[in-house]
Amino acid sequence: MIAPHVVDSGRRWTLPLIATLGDVTEAVAAPLMDRRPGRAWWLSVGASAAVTLVGAVAIWFSLTRGPGLWGNNSAVVWGFPIANYVWWIGIGNAGTLISSLLLLTRQKWRASLNRMAEAMTLFAVSMAGIFPILHLGRPMYFYWLAPYPNSMQLWPQWRSALVWDFWAIVSYLLFSIMFFYVGLQPDLATLRDRDGSRGWRRMYGVAAMGWQGTPTQWRAQERLHRTMAAIAVPLVCSVHSIVGLDFAASLMPGWTESIFPPYFVVGALFSGFAMVVLIALIMRRAMGLEGLIVPDHFDAMARVILAASIVMGASYSAEWLSALWSGEAADLRVVRFAFTGPYAPFYWAMLIGNVAAPQLFWAKPLRTSTPVLIGVSVAVLVGMWLERILIITNTLSIGYEPSFWRLYAPTIVDFLILAGTLGGFVLLMLVFARLLPVVSMHETRKLLAEERG
Amino acid sequence: MTVVAIATFADEGSYLRARVRAVAEERRIVGEWLPYAATSLGAGDGEQGIRAAAIVIGLIGGAALMAVTIWSAVVAYPFDAGGRPVFSWPAFIPAPVEFGALCAGFAGLVMLFRNARLTRLHHAAFDFDEVARAAQDSFVLALACDMGADANGALALMATAGAAHSRLIGG
Repeated sequence: MIAPHVVDSGRRWTLPLIATLGDVTEAVAAPLMDRRPGRAWWLSVGASAAVTLVGAVAIWFSLTRGPGLWGNNSAVVWGFPIANYVWWIGIGNAGTLISSLLLLTRQKWRASLNRMAEAMTLFAVSMAGIFPILHLGRPMYFYWLAPYPNSMQLWPQWRSALVWDFWAIVSYLLFSIMFFYVGLQPDLATLRDRDGSRGWRRMYGVAAMGWQGTPTQWRAQERLHRTMAAIAVPLVCSVHSIVGLDFAASLMPGWTESIFPPYFVVGALFSGFAMVVLIALIMRRAMGLEGLIVPDHFDAMARVILAASIVMGASYSAEWLSALWSGEAADLRVVRFAFTGPYAPFYWAMLIGNVAAPQLFWAKPLRTSTPVLIGVSVAVLVGMWLERILIITNTLSIGYEPSFWRLYAPTIVDFLILAGTLGGFVLLMLVFARLLPVVSMHETRKLLAEERG
Repeated sequence: MTVVAIATFADEGSYLRARVRAVAEERRIVGEWLPYAATSLGAGDGEQGIRAAAIVIGLIGGAALMAVTIWSAVVAYPFDAGGRPVFSWPAFIPAPVEFGALCAGFAGLVMLFRNARLTRLHHAAFDFDEVARAAQDSFVLALACDMGADANGALALMATAGAAHSRLIGG
C-alpha cells in the first residue's frame, strides 16, 4: 500500500506533513535547488542515454540505407513506424486531456499531477513526431508537407491523412508548449526568488518573464489557462480523431468504421493515465513527494483506467459485432484472423492487458497497491501498443486482395528504434525532473489553502 | 512625506481582512502580491480581451488556412486523386481546425503578456524581500501613507488583521 504510515486528518489531496504554503514550496523546490542528483539519477540518465543512442544509430542506418531495414513489406506498409507513432501520440494526447479536462471540471486533485502529465505530453509527442518523418520514404523532403511557395508550384495534398497528421502534430506540440508554459510561469518566479545558486536563479528569472504574482497577473493567467484548457479538450480530441481517421478514412476491412475516432480518443486517455500512474509513482518516491501525491490520487487514476478499460472492451466488441452484422466477408475474415491467425497470441495478450487486467481495480485496496498499480499500468501500456500494431498488421496482412496477403515480422532495427524513443522519453523526463518543478506549486498551494479552510 | 507600509500575511484570510479594512479606511493600495490565484480575487483587471483575442485570432487563423487550402487545391494545383472532387471540403477541415486552435492559444498568450505587463525582468518591486516571499508562501500588501500617525495607523491596521511582518519603506 502507498504510505500506510501516514494518518489521514480529513484532508484528501494533501497529507498533514505538508502543513503550510511554504511546505509546498520546499517539498517541490528543495529537491531541485538544494540537493545534488543522486547516483540513481545518474545511472538512469546513463542507461536511458545509452538506449537513446542505440535508437539514434538505428535511425541513422534507416535514413542512410532506407526502410528496407524494417519489417514493412508490400502489404503491411505501415508496420512499426505508424504503430509507434499512434502509441506515442496517444500517450501525449492524454497528458493535455488529463490536465485540461480536470481543470475545466474543477477536479482539484489535478494540482499534483498536471505538470507531470503536461511534460509527458511534450516528450511523447516529440517521440511520436519522429515516426511519420522516418516513414515518408524520402524523409529529407518532410518539409514538403508544409504549404510554401516554391519554384515547382507544388502544394500539399490536403486530402491525404499524412498532411492532416502534419498539422495535427505541429499545432498540438506548439499549443502544448504554450499551455505548459502558462501553468509553469508562476513556479519559475518561485524558483527565481528562492535561495539557491545565482546562475540557476537567473535562468529561472529570465524564463519567468518578470512574473510578480500581482492580482492582475493572476487573473490574466487564470483566464488564459482556462481558455486554453477549453481549446485543448477539443484540440486533443480532434488530434487523436485525425489519427483514427488515418485508418477509418482508408478503404480497408476492419478500418472503415465510424467508431475509430472516439475509440482512439478513449484509448489515448487510457494509455496516458497508465503512463501518468507510473511517472507519478516514480517521481513521488524519487523526489520525496509523499505529502503531495497521496493514495487518493492513485485511487482516482485507477478508477479512470477501470472506466476506460470498460469502454475499450465495448469498442472491441463493437468492432467484432459490426463485422457480424454487416456480414461482409473481408471484415469477418479480419476478425477471425485476429482471434485465430498467427498474431492471435498478441491479440489475446492485448485483450488481457487492456480489458482484463484493469478489472483488478474494482477492489479498492488494489487501487492503492503499488505493485498492482505498476503491474496494471505496464499491462495497459503494453496492451495499447499491441493494439496499435495489431490494428495495422491484422488488416493489412489479410486485406481484400488474396494475392496481396503477407505476414509481418519486425526486424531488430524496428525494435531498436522503438527502444530508442523509449530511452529518449525517459531521458527527457529525467532532465525535466532536475530542471523544473514536477508539481505545480502555485496550484498545490491553492489546494492546500482550500483544504485547510 | 509619503511612505509605504508593507506587510506579509501567512494566509489568505488575514490578508483579506487587512485589504477590506484598508479599502474601508480609503487607504491607497500601491501593491499586492499573492502566492496563488486566490478565489477571493474575483473578476477584474487583467482578464480583459483574452477570450475575445483567442476566439477572433483563432477564427482568422483557421479561415486563412482554409483559404490557402481551397486556393492551392482548387486553383493553383488541381490534382485529380482517383476522381475525387477537387473541392473536397470535408477533407480540408482537419488542418484549419488544428491551426485555428494554435492561433487561438498564441493570441491568448500574447494577451497574457500584454495584460500582465510581463517581460519586465527588472522592476522596482523586486528590490523588496517581501515580494520575493510572496512567490514562496506569503500574501503581501503595500499601502501608501503619510509619515507619522497615518503610517502608524496603517501598520496597526495590518498588524491587527494578522500580519506576520510589517515595516515602513521610504522616508
